[in-house]
Amino acid sequence: MRKALLILSFVFVILSIVFSILPLDTLALLPIGAALILIFITFKKSDTDQRKLVKWLFAIAYICVIFVLGKTYLIKDEVEKDQQFEQQKIETKQEAKKELEDLEKDLEGLE
Amino acid sequence: MKKITFIIATLLIFCSFTADNKVVIPSGEKLVYAGSYNMSGLMTQLAQVTMSTETQSTSKNTYLHLNCELATFSKWDKFFKIRDIYEAYVNPTTLKPSLYKRSVDEGGYTKKEKYVFKGNSVTSTSKKRNNPETTRTFNIGASTLDVVSLLYKVRTIDFSKMKSGQTKSFTIVFDEKEIPVTLKYMGTESVSAGNLGQKECYKLSIGAKTNKLKGTDKNLIWLTADAKKVPALMKFSIPVGTGQLALTSATGI
Repeated sequence: MRKALLILSFVFVILSIVFSILPLDTLALLPIGAALILIFITFKKSDTDQRKLVKWLFAIAYICVIFVLGKTYLIKDEVEKDQQFEQQKIETKQEAKKELEDLEKDLEGLE
Repeated sequence: MKKITFIIATLLIFCSFTADNKVVIPSGEKLVYAGSYNMSGLMTQLAQVTMSTETQSTSKNTYLHLNCELATFSKWDKFFKIRDIYEAYVNPTTLKPSLYKRSVDEGGYTKKEKYVFKGNSVTSTSKKRNNPETTRTFNIGASTLDVVSLLYKVRTIDFSKMKSGQTKSFTIVFDEKEIPVTLKYMGTESVSAGNLGQKECYKLSIGAKTNKLKGTDKNLIWLTADAKKVPALMKFSIPVGTGQLALTSATGI
């Protein structure tokens, strides 16, 4: 039982690290939360001399929490300046002007 | 992919109402929103939505260009980059559209649409990624509008005379067809409106005969209860989840 919990804790800690590194925002708190719960249960099921690895897993999960919350609250969400998008907007506007003029001609023809 | 289209469609379909034409949408207005999506129970900020207006003149007419852009925050770009533009060219006074355009670029999926309004008919042109361009002409009602202009038209309505629970029915054009939309006024609530601070707002519920919206009174919009009627918060519920658009900055109003 303890071994299975330890393996699960380990797997979720790995997932926590991966989710924390990826730009998944607070979504990373899901595997971290699961990891912390599993670590806690494993800790309770472990004898005093078996708790060293569990403590390390807890420390890593804790660092992940701090890292994710730090990213969420300290780093401002920004949209990158996209030259291609800006160019597209200019071209779309020019096209629209021509299309409006064509429409005006069509409507004149109908009258 | 469908999620994003649903979200944008939902946001744009949000409003459809009769208008008090005395209120004029100003040129030069810019509203910036933080778009969040509920991922496994956690509201995650995904994109910035910018709604802006400007005057566009041709040799014969002057139009109001209503522009709605959606761009993912840079941290998401490497995984799923979105750059969408929804725009309408409308009569500055009545907000009746002459041209509606939609350009979608979502993680490599591209789609372009154009609707040209000629009296009681619309000619739509649609081009999906690798598919050939299709053109269709269909009839519309005299008051049928596109989704972008409706999003602005809502702000010209006088809600002060409406009673809680009162509804209005309208029609919009989306996905090359007309869609009936119902609006329900739900009273007033105080919500945060970005740089405008805490504001008393009109709470409205939107329902459309489309599979893009889900639930009853789960698609909501809050407009500041003042002359500007700035959309301060929008919440949506679609088949693939829920999300919201929260106003972060309002300038030129």
